[in-house]
Amino acid sequence: MKSQSATEGATAAVASRRHGLRRLLPLALVLGMALLVMLSLTAGSAPVSWREAAAALAAPWAADAGSAGSSSMVNAIVLELRLPRVLLALLVGAALALVGGLLQSTTRNDLADPFLFGLSSGASAGAVAVITLTGDWLGAWTLPAATFAGAAVAAAAVLVLVRRAGGQGPAQTVLAGLAVSFLFGALTHGLVFAGDQRAAHAVVFWSLGGLGLARWDNLWLAVLGLLVPAVFVWRSHRALDALLAGDDTAHSLGIAPEKLRTRAFVVAAVATACCVALAGVIGFVGLMVPHLARRLAGPLHAAFLPVAAVLGGALLLASDLVARTLLGSQELPVGIVTAGIGAVFVMALLRRPVNA
Amino acid sequence: MNRLFLQRAVAGAINLVIGLALGASIGAGTAMAQGAPAPAPPPGFPVTVPNCGDTLRIAAPPKRMVVHDLNMVEMAMALGLQPSMVGVTGITGWYKADAAFLRRLGSIPELAPKYPTLETLVAAKPDLFFAGWYYGMQPGGDVTPATLARHGIQTLVLTESCAHALGDKPRATMDLLYGDLLRLGTVFGRRAEAERLVVQWRERVRAAARPALPVPPRVFVYDSGEDKPFTAGRAAMPTALIEAAGGRNVLGDVSMSWGNAAWETVAASNPQFIVLLDYQNGQGPEHLQQILQAHPAMRLTDAVRHRRFITLRYAELTPGPANIEAIEKLARALRQPP
Repeated sequence: MKSQSATEGATAAVASRRHGLRRLLPLALVLGMALLVMLSLTAGSAPVSWREAAAALAAPWAADAGSAGSSSMVNAIVLELRLPRVLLALLVGAALALVGGLLQSTTRNDLADPFLFGLSSGASAGAVAVITLTGDWLGAWTLPAATFAGAAVAAAAVLVLVRRAGGQGPAQTVLAGLAVSFLFGALTHGLVFAGDQRAAHAVVFWSLGGLGLARWDNLWLAVLGLLVPAVFVWRSHRALDALLAGDDTAHSLGIAPEKLRTRAFVVAAVATACCVALAGVIGFVGLMVPHLARRLAGPLHAAFLPVAAVLGGALLLASDLVARTLLGSQELPVGIVTAGIGAVFVMALLRRPVNA
Repeated sequence: MNRLFLQRAVAGAINLVIGLALGASIGAGTAMAQGAPAPAPPPGFPVTVPNCGDTLRIAAPPKRMVVHDLNMVEMAMALGLQPSMVGVTGITGWYKADAAFLRRLGSIPELAPKYPTLETLVAAKPDLFFAGWYYGMQPGGDVTPATLARHGIQTLVLTESCAHALGDKPRATMDLLYGDLLRLGTVFGRRAEAERLVVQWRERVRAAARPALPVPPRVFVYDSGEDKPFTAGRAAMPTALIEAAGGRNVLGDVSMSWGNAAWETVAASNPQFIVLLDYQNGQGPEHLQQILQAHPAMRLTDAVRHRRFITLRYAELTPGPANIEAIEKLARALRQPP
């Protein structure tokens, strides 16, 4: 845990520079994002030019709809494959970053993220369980319900384990999370293995993620996954700030840390479940983005969590762009790219002095 | 009806071959027993065959072969090698084995429903394991030609699967099937039979591909996968089958064997026919068809709009005797008036 006063001192020292940076930050983020979105709509394994992409985007408003066959295919690729995929990347990236930031604050642990706490593996175990064992018993709600059940069980298990172990020591929390994560990972792989082993890509999807399932009719789930943590952050960012100063200080300010922590876990479970149901398990976004955002916007939740959300969306979008274009017409699981970037990021983090 | 008749006819012919082979092997056995105690190499042996960038030297016809996977077992059965087989692996774990296949297999046991372990194989005391990379063996796994060699077991590797282990991914041709059957024939001292079979197959393929099509129709092979399709690239057998039938695999230039592609590439190539892989495991090709019809870009392709789907079994799409029937089915479908 960083020393709070040291962080504040450092913040004061570079306050003037930070101030200028912070005013430029939204502009830089918006410009970078727009560029990324345009690149994502035009680049891909099927050749689509800038002009064709622009025409496709204008198509729903164009008067002469049913035009030539080839352009209707380009329209379908841009409007119904790439555009929902871009939105899914932004929503899931933002949601994962928010969840990571929330978990890091409430457990006061720099390593916390949906993956470490077993939420992701719980959700994917739930999904794989219904796919291999029961089938669609709730229609379109089956997968979200199953991922939520899995994530909720994982969250509950971590909370109970941490409480039993007494206190909220960072090491204890990490161990509890890892244990739950590995347990559900084992369950997922066991279920896939016992089922159709030949469908090896099913394992890959549930452990490395992918954004290929993005459709207009399932994006609402990702919207829900982002809205739930966003509303929670908006309503309780002051309480979260207070928690940074320690449980005792929070108590004295009239905040119940245990309650807040439990609620944050429930919110994290819901959001993770929505993300996993659509995109599988995508690691590292929730871990590294909040750290980056804190560095850019400071430790207060109302400031850094929105930045984290935007950065998370941009990171996942950029990662997906790499995953879609690196091997030509073959598609990489996006988790490979985020994990690669994430590992390098953690190494860079380790090389810096502790209070940088 | 026609197909059922054909299957029975083939089964009958194979039974006949088995009978002859049994007689021959018993004859050979007694001849050996009467001869010198030191086993002299049988006439024509030792033989060498190419084996996945290496050569395999066989001192005498194997007597205890284990064969992995449906397609390779069917290859062995086409040469009537059942008397020289002590086991098969990787059948029931993935497919509903049909009655005709089980009848032809006779009393040969299945040693493992999916991939065999080294222990299972060693316990069966085989002298030859006929398998491939990702057909029973995984690079770095416990069962590889190297680990088996330490237990005195030789490995004949399916040529199509070499693309997974070697760096280069040559374009698949029908020689993947013909060559492997000839190798199998050579290893078991049945080269002439194998050559006869290959001549018959070549003739059937030539007949099926007539009349020649002016422009090869575009074909996509859909194995599985919803977020991205698992399919066959340049080095995989379906590319050869589609070309033999007069068509063109839309992913036939992608440098991979079996692997993942991107939906938008496939949709942009606008396939006119789609081959659906039927694993005979219950979920079935109807499920694949539903995914295609619901996909925002794939549903606009000629194949999906006109419902031009061709369902083929796993054994028909991986190197094996069933390839010939698959080519005939494909060729018929590609030549149907629109």
